[in-house]
Amino acid sequence: MIPQLAYPTALALAALAIPIVIFYILKIRLRREPVATIMFWNQIFEEKKPRSLWQKLRHLISLLLQLAFLALLVLAIGEPFFSWESGRSRRIVIVIDQSASMNATDVKPTRLDRAKDEAIKLIDAMRFRDEAAIIAAGNPPRVYSGLTDHQRTLRSAVREIPAADGPTTVPQAVELARRLVVDHDNKRIIIISDGGFSGSTDMLKDESIAAIAVGGAATNVGITRFQARRSLVDPIGYEILVEAMNGSNERVERRIEIDLSGEPVDVVPLKLAAGEKWTRVFEKTSAEGGILKAFFDKPDALEADDSAWAILPKREYQRVILSTAGNLFLEKVFEAIPLVKLTVVQEIAKATEPGAIPAFHRAVPAVIPKGRVIVIEPDRSTDLWDRGEAIAAPIVAKQDKDSPLMAHVRLDNVMMPEARKLSIKGQFVSLAQSTTGDPLYALIRRPEGDVLVITVNLDKSDLPLQTAFPILMTNASAYFAGEKGELKESIPAGSVADVSIPDIKANEPISFVARTPDGATRDLPPASTGKITIGPLDRRGIWSVEKKRDDEDRMKRSETRPAPVAQVACNLADRRETDLRPVADWSTRRVDIARGFGGRPVWYYLIATAWILTAWEWFLYQRRWID
Amino acid sequence: MPLFDSDFLKKLEYLAIVSRRVFRGQILAQRRTRQLGGGIEFADHRDYTPGDDFRHLDWNVYARHDDLLIKRFQEEEDLHVYILLDCSRSMARGEPAKFDLARRVAAALAYIALANLDRVAVIGVAGDLVADFPLTRGKGRILSLLKFLENLEPIAAATDLARSAASFVHRSQRRGLVVIISDLYDPAGFEKGVDIVRHHRHEPHVVQIYDRAEAEPKFLGDLELFDVETGAVRKVTITERSLKQYRQIYKDFQESIRSYCVSRAIGHTTTTADVAFDELILKMMRSAGALTS
Repeated sequence: MIPQLAYPTALALAALAIPIVIFYILKIRLRREPVATIMFWNQIFEEKKPRSLWQKLRHLISLLLQLAFLALLVLAIGEPFFSWESGRSRRIVIVIDQSASMNATDVKPTRLDRAKDEAIKLIDAMRFRDEAAIIAAGNPPRVYSGLTDHQRTLRSAVREIPAADGPTTVPQAVELARRLVVDHDNKRIIIISDGGFSGSTDMLKDESIAAIAVGGAATNVGITRFQARRSLVDPIGYEILVEAMNGSNERVERRIEIDLSGEPVDVVPLKLAAGEKWTRVFEKTSAEGGILKAFFDKPDALEADDSAWAILPKREYQRVILSTAGNLFLEKVFEAIPLVKLTVVQEIAKATEPGAIPAFHRAVPAVIPKGRVIVIEPDRSTDLWDRGEAIAAPIVAKQDKDSPLMAHVRLDNVMMPEARKLSIKGQFVSLAQSTTGDPLYALIRRPEGDVLVITVNLDKSDLPLQTAFPILMTNASAYFAGEKGELKESIPAGSVADVSIPDIKANEPISFVARTPDGATRDLPPASTGKITIGPLDRRGIWSVEKKRDDEDRMKRSETRPAPVAQVACNLADRRETDLRPVADWSTRRVDIARGFGGRPVWYYLIATAWILTAWEWFLYQRRWID
Repeated sequence: MPLFDSDFLKKLEYLAIVSRRVFRGQILAQRRTRQLGGGIEFADHRDYTPGDDFRHLDWNVYARHDDLLIKRFQEEEDLHVYILLDCSRSMARGEPAKFDLARRVAAALAYIALANLDRVAVIGVAGDLVADFPLTRGKGRILSLLKFLENLEPIAAATDLARSAASFVHRSQRRGLVVIISDLYDPAGFEKGVDIVRHHRHEPHVVQIYDRAEAEPKFLGDLELFDVETGAVRKVTITERSLKQYRQIYKDFQESIRSYCVSRAIGHTTTTADVAFDELILKMMRSAGALTS
């Protein structure tokens, strides 16, 4: 138990005792004060005789106090420590839950701020030679400070942890913490959380893990799912999936409102019991698309799940020029597709309009024009195929189920009395083929534009009468429209998202930035392919991908921003985060960090004692005046 | 800076005029003896008794009323003003020094007296009589008196008013007004000295001059108090409490002076050393204590 000194050379400072003793022995001469007469003073001091023993000894006591003060200071500078302190120094990893539920305001100002306060208390209570690390359980878990005994650094690291809207990653953070202290015997992982993560109770079975619970019961209703997709049957229709959950212990009433680009779409009153979930699919129509937003009419303890967004892609109208001698069914099928604007011509269209899709029924030009083309039952050979003999009663033996062109289509029960054999030149995909291997429906790929060919004789077949035919044409229309109008999934907070970037050339990479919902920008790696990955999306809202500009700083100050190349909706959409009810068995336990030697090094107590001695000496000095 | 500069002399003249105008017939006239005799100023009549000087018979009254009345005249007598000036070392203390004010006050009183054709003597006292400016008369003597005062210095001797007063009364033949200008820091007590003066039928007036720092000292802590008069040294620890005690003792001391003088109808003036001497003289005149009694 005999302490050792970290800096034994500091003992040389004890030599300062010599001048102190010398001054005491020499006794500094008293200040002489001449007075006109001493007779009045005599009257005072004659009464006080004899002086007490204490007064006689006080100078000696003062000297001893000064020497003791010096000794304490010298020892403190020498930094004494006990052998057990170096041997039993602890390695503490503080894991702070950074999930969205930690933004709840049931404890003021937020659960996260309370967690930070608790972390700082732990840091303040560290023993001498203890080391600690700070990990934020965000997306992904991040080490804000490695193991260090420098309390100021640790406190600063704790204060740096920002609020985030992602789901909790405490288990991953704890794994990270374990790796940090894997080589140490006396280790402790302290989780500061509201317990809203899977396996929270089991985690505490590990003796090396301690917990500090923050938060209590709070009233919260959240949107736990919000997705929109285009209707499968209605090209301009869309469906909205909304799920809300009451994450509190009491019954609540709310009104959920849904807007599309600021225009109200629907309003639904909700009455949810404790823990109850509510789900509904809304079917709406809009060709224009926009940003869908769902939100509650009242705020509650957690703002992050009170609103959600989804992106509804715009449907582009397609112009189709049908060259046909006359087929009413064919015309009606194209007219029935909502996004198609049909023009019927009797003769083969000489020149196609830019962006329009020529559809040739029987009469086809010798050279198929560039661009996207639909050909039905061609009556002659062209540059893309040689027309062969008729195929009698072909049976669909195989169809490409994976192709979007064949989605929701079954041709095996369609009566096809006749088809035409085509010998297709170049690359093609047989979407439906007969038992003889001849294509009945083919996709010919060519650099200047894909061509869809149907070899079935529509006049003899009941294909135009089947539901498969309009679906087939709708698929063709959607296929030629490209990805525009497809579902754009709302991404859960904390995830990464692959965003399609059109018009990217492989040899000309373009730099992009991701603009967060709060307007900040984050650099993205240059994209050389048609996709770019952004994330993890740690803030909910609409994220945008924009082309990076050199004058980004000026852009930050400016209100006008470049049009986004792509947008991604990000929602909390996590029931665990919405559920703010206290987690059973999650409570503060095994937080004994401050036990032992008061959490302070020996020199701290030496300085404190020296301070007390100084105060005493000062008191004695004052006593001479006020006694 | 000289003790008695031209400004001082102007103020003296002013004080002399004021004293004549305000106190004519009230101050010095009252000092005149009640002895009737060969003066020129008529006092009253009395019946003739055999042996009276016929020259004093009022013949006009006799002619008119047939009464023999003797005219009485008030005999004028010079007033003797003795100024006992404390020259002990304690008088050199203060800011400004008490001794400076004491000398100025002495000079002023002497000038007023000389201007009124009275006789003035200034005697320096400490442990005994240490300096003497003998009785003199006439304004012409003022310069030599001022020179005497200017050359006067405090001496290293403890104040002994009793002994000084004894020496004084045994030397002075004529009774008169005795103005004692001192801080009265006499370890044996100032009363004995004043009593001696009083018992020898002089009329004492006490002017106590003290320094503010003496009434309310500010020093604290471990000190070596040095008595400038006796050279005694005392190591003390002065606390707020002892300062409080000191202030009370000093207050009691001044109260004892006041009560002593009042009970014996002795005029007295107490002042700090930082007042102007002319103000002090005017104050004395107004209170009519210093020069009446």
